[in-house]
This record gives sequence, C-alpha cells and structure tokens, in this order.
Amino acid sequence: MKRRDFALALGGAAAAIGTGTAFREASAQAPASGGNLVIVFPANQEPASLDGHIDPFQSTWLLNSFVADPLVVLDGDGQYKPALALSWESTPDGRSWTFKLRPNVTFQDGTPFNAAAVKYNVERILAPATSSKQLASDIGPVARIDLIDELTVRLNYDTPWVTLLDAIRRTPIWSPAAAERHGLQEFQRNLVGAGPFTLAEWVKNDRMVFRRWPGYGGWNAAATHQGPARLAQVTIRFIGENAVLNEAVRANAANIGFSLTPAAIEIYKGRSNFRFLSLGQAGTGLQQVMNIRRPPLNDLRVRQALLFARDSGAVNQLLFDGAYIASDGPLDNVHPCFWPGATEMYRTDLDRARRLLDDAGWRVVPGQPIRQARGVAGVADGTPLRVRWTTIHHREIGEALQAQYRRVGIDLQVEQVPGPIQLDRVNRRDFDLMFLRQRSPDPLILDQVWNSRWDRPGGWAWTGFADARLDEQLNQLRALPSADDRCTVARRAQQIIMENALTLPTLSQPVLIAQQMRVQDFKMGAEGNWFFLHSTWLQT
Amino acid sequence: MGRYIAGRLGQLVPVLFLISVIVFGVMHALPGDPAQLMLQGAEGGAPPERLEELREQMGLNDPLLVQYLRFAGSALVGDLGESIRFRTPVTELILERFGFTLQLALSGLVMAILIGLPLGMIAAMRQNSWVDTLAMSIAYAGASMPIFWFGLIMILLFSFNLGWLPPAGADGLESLVLPAVTLGFVSAGLISRLVRSSMIEVLGEDYIRTSRAKGLSERLVLWRHGLKNALIPVVTMIGLIFGGMLAGAVVTETVFSRPGVGRLVVAAILSKDYPLVQGCVLFLSVVYLSVNLAVDILYAWLDPRIRYAA
Repeated sequence: MKRRDFALALGGAAAAIGTGTAFREASAQAPASGGNLVIVFPANQEPASLDGHIDPFQSTWLLNSFVADPLVVLDGDGQYKPALALSWESTPDGRSWTFKLRPNVTFQDGTPFNAAAVKYNVERILAPATSSKQLASDIGPVARIDLIDELTVRLNYDTPWVTLLDAIRRTPIWSPAAAERHGLQEFQRNLVGAGPFTLAEWVKNDRMVFRRWPGYGGWNAAATHQGPARLAQVTIRFIGENAVLNEAVRANAANIGFSLTPAAIEIYKGRSNFRFLSLGQAGTGLQQVMNIRRPPLNDLRVRQALLFARDSGAVNQLLFDGAYIASDGPLDNVHPCFWPGATEMYRTDLDRARRLLDDAGWRVVPGQPIRQARGVAGVADGTPLRVRWTTIHHREIGEALQAQYRRVGIDLQVEQVPGPIQLDRVNRRDFDLMFLRQRSPDPLILDQVWNSRWDRPGGWAWTGFADARLDEQLNQLRALPSADDRCTVARRAQQIIMENALTLPTLSQPVLIAQQMRVQDFKMGAEGNWFFLHSTWLQT
Repeated sequence: MGRYIAGRLGQLVPVLFLISVIVFGVMHALPGDPAQLMLQGAEGGAPPERLEELREQMGLNDPLLVQYLRFAGSALVGDLGESIRFRTPVTELILERFGFTLQLALSGLVMAILIGLPLGMIAAMRQNSWVDTLAMSIAYAGASMPIFWFGLIMILLFSFNLGWLPPAGADGLESLVLPAVTLGFVSAGLISRLVRSSMIEVLGEDYIRTSRAKGLSERLVLWRHGLKNALIPVVTMIGLIFGGMLAGAVVTETVFSRPGVGRLVVAAILSKDYPLVQGCVLFLSVVYLSVNLAVDILYAWLDPRIRYAA
C-alpha cells in the first residue's frame, strides 16, 4: 500500500515575508548559465566534519545536498518528492520500507548508483566506527537490508519506525567506491555524491567552493529544469562577526546572506533593491521549560501566572519589529502538528495572573515592587518571588519579559550562559526556567522533551513532570504510521502539557535571508533552513 | 652562547609539562561534557543511550590519570591526539591554520614597526614640540582602542562604504590589508612610545655629543649611533608583541573571519574538546617560548656587552 506523504502545512510561512517557493522576478532574460553565487553563513554553522553521516548538524546536511542528492527531498510545499528514489512505500505497521530507485544514475566518479550503494550508505551510518552522532539515531535500528533487485532496496525493522522519511531526506548518498578509497577521516575532503556540484575547495574557517558537475542528470524533483546546474560555482563564506554577516549583501560582498541575525531586519526590510525573507522553522520555538521540583514553580498557579502575565506579541514588536514567529505552545505555531488551543489558553491577562499569585500565597507588600511569600509551603515568609531565567542566547527576550513580569510582582532574573554551563545546570536540575529548542517538522520531538522516561542523563526531559496519561500519548508517536493520527496524538499531548503549564513558550526564531535581486530561481525547502540551488542562476 | 641556548631548550620540558597538567586539570574541572554537548547541541536530540556509547568511544569513561597519560605519552612523540569534535588529528588541525595565524602576525608586526618606529623617532627628535604631541597622541589612540572596535570601523569605512577591500576571509593579499593594519596600529602605539623614550635617553649620551662634535651628519648620528642602541629594548618589546600576536590574534581573526589557531582554541574550549585544547595550548606555548628565546639571542647579538652564562 502506498503511503501518504507526510503533509506539512506551513501556515507560519504564509505569515512570513517569503514563502517556500522558488523566487524569480519577472525578467526578460532567459536563465543564464555560469556565474559564481556567493552565500555568507554564520561561522558557527560551519561543520566540524563535512561528512553528514558523522556530523549532527542541519547545516552539514544542507551543504552535503549540493554534492549528494538524497533518496527523497522535502520540497517547499511540505511534500516528499522523488530524488534518487522514484517511489517508496512502507508496510502499515512501519516495520518495513521499500525504495524503488531511479535508473541510469551515476556518482560523480562514475560509480553506478544502485540498491547496493544505498545498502552501503545505511550500513556505513550505522557502523560503530563511523560514530554517527545523529543520523544513526534517526535512521533507526535497522534489523536487515534486502536487495530485492538492482534498483529496489528494503529496510526492515523489528519495531515500527515511522519517521524514516524525515531522516532519509537529510541523508547524503555517497559513492561507495570513493568512501572506501578515502576512509572515514579523509572522505570529508573528497566528497563524491550524485548531486549537481562537486566540492572543489574547503579552507576551514573561511570558505567552501563548489563547482558545477557537468554529468548531473537533474534527478531531483526540486530542480525546475533538467540537466546540470546553471551556476558554474557556489562559494560559501563563513563570517564570524555578525555586523559583517548582516551587511555583506548590501555591501555587495555576497549575493545571499543566510541565517542573519535580527539586526538585519532594519537593514533590509522594506528595501526594494533586496529580497528579504523571514521563514519559519518548525519545532519547539524558543521556550523555557519549568523546573517543577522546587518552589516557586512547584505550584501550578505560579506557573500559570507566568503564562498569563507574558505578552509575546509585544516582545516581538519591541525587539524584532514583528519579524519573529508566534510560538504559543510546546510546538511553535508553524509546526504542522501545532495545537491551536495553546493560543487561546493563556491569552495575556494580568488580573488573572495577580489572582493566581495571591491564591498561591505570594502577596503584594505595600511599598515593595516584588511579591513575597506568605504561608507558601517550603518557603520562608518574606521570601521575594524570584524566578531565574537561564538561556544560551536571545537574552533580550528575557529582559523584555522582565519588565512585563514586574507589573505583576515577579522578579525575573535573566542570565545567559555558555552551552557547557547550561548542560551542567540541567544535569544538576539547578534551574527555574531553562532554555530549550529543538527544530524538526516531526512531532517526535515532543516525546524527546516530555516523556518522563527521558528524565535521565543525556535526556531532554528536564522538568520533573511525570504523568502516565501524557507518556501514553507520547509513546504512540513512535508507533502510529498515519501522519494525521500522529498529529492528533501530538495535539492531545500539547494540551496536557499546557494544562499543567510546564513550559513558557516565547517566540520562534525564523531564518532570515537577504538576497540581491539578481539571484533567480533560488528555491527554499519546507523548512527555512533548507534550500536548493539546482536551478538557481544569476541575472547579468 | 651554545650552552645557554641548550639550557633554555632544556627548560622547555618542565614548563610544558606544567602547562599540560594545568590545562588538563582546568578543562576537566570546568562544567560540561563534550559528548553531551555534541549530542544535545545537535538538531534532533539523540537518545540518552547514544550518550553513553559516545562517551565510551571518546575514552571519556577512563580514569583521569589514564586519559592524561595517554595524551602526554603521545605528545612526547609529537602526536597531540585526535580532536573529539573534528575526528581529525590535532596536529593537522593546528598546522592547517597556523599558516594563516603566522601570516597575520607577521604582517601585523610589519605594520606595527612601519608605523611605530618613525612615529617614535620623530617624537624623540622633536621632543616637547607640537610634532611630539601629535605623534604621541596618535600612539596613545592606537594603544587605547579595542581591536574589535577598530577593526569594525576599518571594515565599515574601507569595505562597506568605499568598497576598496574585502571585509572578511583569507582569500589573497587583499584580504590581509585591513586585519594587518588593525593589528599593527594598536601595537604601533606601544612601540612608538618605547622608541621615543629610548631614543631620548640615547640622544642624551656622551658619545652622541662626541659624534656631533666630530662633525658627523645628523643622519649618521641618528641612524648609526642613536637608533641602533635605542632599539635594544624595542627589540624585546617587538618580540613579546609578536609572540602575543601569534598566540592571541583570536579577536582579529573573529572580526575579519579569518582562519587561525586563536579561533580554533576558542571553539575547542566551548565544545570541551579536551585533546584539541591541550594540543593547541601546548603548541602555542612552544611558539611563544621559542620567540622569547629568539629575542634573547638577538638581544645578545645587538649588544656585544651582553654575555649569557649557561
């Protein structure tokens, strides 16, 4: 039975300035061949290893996609489309996935692409020697790989594995001959796939240069034309200084600025000689999960008061000129499985927040701006109501909310810490509100963050909340084969999480992209942090 | 002199041992786990079982003494281990980037000397005049300005407004101009002040008066007799500045998005990449100590009165 694609309706993208489609202005010029497209990236998105089988980052897989087409792609409309695989299906229980591969495809070194190549790649990812930090977990516990024929491969699992397509669309398919010849360490400098470009140069901490592969057959539904890429060269520059990154396009030092900081909004928004895109990233948004193990957040009324007292819309306008995206629940508003009830549940209501705090024993003291405890269990009378907000970036959101919370008598103490400190606090459960963000269009991230079985070292369940009803919903996310059913379960889980006020959602950070108008047919993926250059060209 | 040099080289061993112990201890005392940082910084979030597997693969479950001895043992034969994050030999990572750091430091030093030396000399020759005041004001301005701020101003003016030079990268000599001038101008302030005070002291010496009395031209007096002796303390300063540039150009590298060992060390610290931090610090220590030794030897060559005991 053919499976329905996992449809991703990105409502948030419609709320954004750009949409997930190819950008082309009405132009009298026919698509030109040649040119060097220069894209600037933030320096922290440069991969440590350019081998996506090893490196766990989205930027690595994106850069890999220039060199290696995957089996399927997730296009701008949120649909899985054929690339190196022409079709795919799974058994109703999700334990077996069969891919029918595209014929007459070769890798850049002439090695034929076939079922054996796919098997090699999957086994390479799963091999302990590869030490794959993410894809191995995403591909899952493959029990057996069957080569049905030259162009048909089947992956078999002992347990249902319903999220395989989300992993496969990010998985680069490398030439087995090249991978074997160069070995694990050297292959990242000698990448060979079946994509539109080859890796010509990588100067670490400076640039990557990709050159057009003349032998590319256009075997990717993301391409709007057949045959080799139009661009002769793509240069990626990694910029360490945000001011330089943001200005690069305006200063004509680059054609595209990718993943710019909020300061770029003021530079490009509304300017007719640039294209400025603000694109959603489905996931959890920028949220602060609550530690319910200790006062004051061990009281549901205090947690609810925090939610009623915040006005994220005002924060968005104040800090980002409205360019950030609403995130009202455990999944952000652009996630395909977002529960709309989250928006209504905690609309800003300062009076309600104050009543809740009064009921919880945190009283207003005349002449004092901050409430104090009166008869709060486990807290000495007179203790001020302080809540610590710990984050690794976007400190300014906390500072804006600090002013809002003061209106209801809460002292929000904002601190920004480096990653190692954050994890140390998490491990010791020494926090009140802790920053958390995961980015994925798959609702499985809810299981990772909210299932109580992950409340252990290395796990993402930090709040201390354990509820059988919630766990039961979340456990189904790994087993239900139907995308609609998974979204239904995800929405039920979000309702439970919000009813218990376990998280403080704020906003969702979009991917900000600035382009010169001469860039044509630049195609975005369904997610703001993915794009395709197969048919991009530069107007002269 | 040979015995002196051999003795100094011998001193490197205990110094490097002490540095390696301190760096190892500090890195392991700091909060954070490199395996956890890698997984929990990843996009989807791998399951907790993966964390234990990764820790085992990285050798992080071994006792600290075993981890240190493993590192120290291989460092003795020039193997600085493999980076946890990059899965590449540390030596290779350093050597990939050291060329860029050396390039930046050398060009920065040249700029510092080209700016600082004449500025200091002019100030000394026109002592207490408006020329002296102007020269020293420029020197103080250079020495006071934060490198990151000055670098951004240079980028704003020469890259974004005038479009003369690239704002970032390490692509050719053009991309070296702004970072070299930035690094050099800030250091030139220190050099010019020392040149000025040293020249003033030398120009007041009896042998300078004698050479003028003998009828030598002012140019000969200044360059052959004055500057050469005035440069002795300046050489020491230049050596220290160069060593500092090699070891700590991280701010300039970041502002101008240039590859370099400085940025590598910072990234390694933030990701708790123990072998990479240890390897980089040891390497930079050797470089800095070697530069200091070279300065001491040059000092003895410049001033024949200096003789080192072994």
